[in-house]
Amino acid sequence: MRPGILLRLFAALGYTLLLSPVVVVAAISFSAGDFLTFPPPGFSLRWYQQLFSSGELMAALRNSAVLAVVVAVVALLVGAPASYAIARLEFPGRDALAGLLAAPLLLPTLVLGLALLLALQPLRLAATWPGLVLAHSMVAIPFATRIMTTAFTAVPRDLEEAAWTLGATPLRAALRVTLPIAAPGAVAAGALCFLVSFDETVISLFLVGPRLSTLPVEMFRYAENRTDPLVAALAMALIFVALAVVLLVERLVGFQRALGRE
Amino acid sequence: MTHLVLDRLTRRFPGAAQAAVAGISLELPKGALLALLGPSGCGKTTTLRMIAGLEKPDEGRVLVAGRDVTALPPHRRNMGVVFQSYALFPHMSAAGNVAFGLEMRGVARAERAERVRQALALVGLEELAARRPRQLSGGQQQRVALARALAIQPDLLLLDEPLSALDAKLREGVRDEIRALQQRVGATTVFVTHDQTEALAMADLVAVMNQGRVEQLASPEEVFERPATRFVATFVGRAARLSGQVEAPGTIRCGEALLRAAETPATGAVEIFIRPHHVRPVAAAENLLPARVLRRTYTGEVVSLECETPAGRLLAELPGGVPEARATAGDTLSLGFAAADLRVFPA
Repeated sequence: MRPGILLRLFAALGYTLLLSPVVVVAAISFSAGDFLTFPPPGFSLRWYQQLFSSGELMAALRNSAVLAVVVAVVALLVGAPASYAIARLEFPGRDALAGLLAAPLLLPTLVLGLALLLALQPLRLAATWPGLVLAHSMVAIPFATRIMTTAFTAVPRDLEEAAWTLGATPLRAALRVTLPIAAPGAVAAGALCFLVSFDETVISLFLVGPRLSTLPVEMFRYAENRTDPLVAALAMALIFVALAVVLLVERLVGFQRALGRE
Repeated sequence: MTHLVLDRLTRRFPGAAQAAVAGISLELPKGALLALLGPSGCGKTTTLRMIAGLEKPDEGRVLVAGRDVTALPPHRRNMGVVFQSYALFPHMSAAGNVAFGLEMRGVARAERAERVRQALALVGLEELAARRPRQLSGGQQQRVALARALAIQPDLLLLDEPLSALDAKLREGVRDEIRALQQRVGATTVFVTHDQTEALAMADLVAVMNQGRVEQLASPEEVFERPATRFVATFVGRAARLSGQVEAPGTIRCGEALLRAAETPATGAVEIFIRPHHVRPVAAAENLLPARVLRRTYTGEVVSLECETPAGRLLAELPGGVPEARATAGDTLSLGFAAADLRVFPA
């Protein structure tokens, strides 16, 4: 059945509402003027030029990208075994573990950021790479666990049993059978963790220092002090990265399906 | 030579009132095919899973070739299992699936390739070695699963309802193929099924199971012709069921008629089972009853007659060619059957 005209109008309205700010920001990012005004007085690439020639912002972009990759890897390394245990094994405290892993999602990030600062400061880990990786991983792991648990649960149990009867130890069966079949879930989880870390602002605000900062934090600070369209260009850069990751996942998981699942 | 021994094997699932498998003991000679036959929930699959090590028994032992394997995990049992769903690895080719068990055993690459080829040739699928499970038909997937289970040269071949996912048309052919293959390879096999025809056609031994127990363990002929319990008599094959009263050992009063049976309880109320093919239109027999035809069903090779007799309702199955097979509803016949063909159980 084709959706009715009313539903389509409603959907169009929704999309317009959601995307119009992006359109405005995109337009401003190409502004030739000196201020955040819409419509822009003229179009140019000057703010993109300025963005790419700003040492501070480029350093922050690099930091954020590296941090997000490391966090995604850490979250998968921690999340995958934990998810496997939750999905497959029966042990006392399983529900408690699942709850514990989801707990950071329930805390306001402001509280989490403050708590992390208080915990990491005495360890001299504030404003360091390990500190940021740890903090971002805390927020990313629940996402990784949630997605991977679903992915593992979706793998039929008898595949693993078949692997056992063929002589695979439980570990080898998990690595050779369950994990490859759940791989699209892992790709999706990794991408989401990358984005969670890449966009994370509040916790980072507590933990960055003069020598180590992330892109969202720098953007926030920039917007606080300046009113030029550079921040719009920066916002477009963030959107572009997120879009690239989503497309990459689509490509990878689609590719995987074509190779392995059909 | 006894190859598989189940010794008082028992499994109780937590929270269940009744044991899923309640102390099963049986022995299976090397190279034989045992069918575990029973309705769903009778414990046959649980028994198979305990043999494979996928389920831990609460009591009892599993012995293979004299060795107690009860405590071994499945990966150390060397048993080839064909799952009801086939459980083929979707991310591997047919050859990859068959190679998996050999790889786990550390078989060198060259020998592995040769044994994979042999195993696939055994089931006639050499040409499809590179296909993924999704690119294979149900019957082909089933044969890959069989090749995968046989490639490891298992001590036991375990089949869990291997035909249930196939089209009815395919089933008979695959059934005969599996049986032929099993005999050629000489694999001692346990086969779970709820289909009596499958069990009778394939097995050397049939264990009829009900509520976690083996009701009868015997050859297919024995199970069919001489069911040991009321359950076996009702579950396997069709039978007319009459109720009666033992007048004297060997004589039962059944309605207005007296029937002679080879074996009866000494006294009391009984239930009598008579297989339709044991009932014949004859002039003389140990038991002879006048019968009025109530309904006639023509199925080509046989004609089924449902008849009213002084002993109760009888079913007679006659070959299509005999004159009595032309009887129609309302006709009266003389039906007879041997005393040895009656199965009598206390009611």
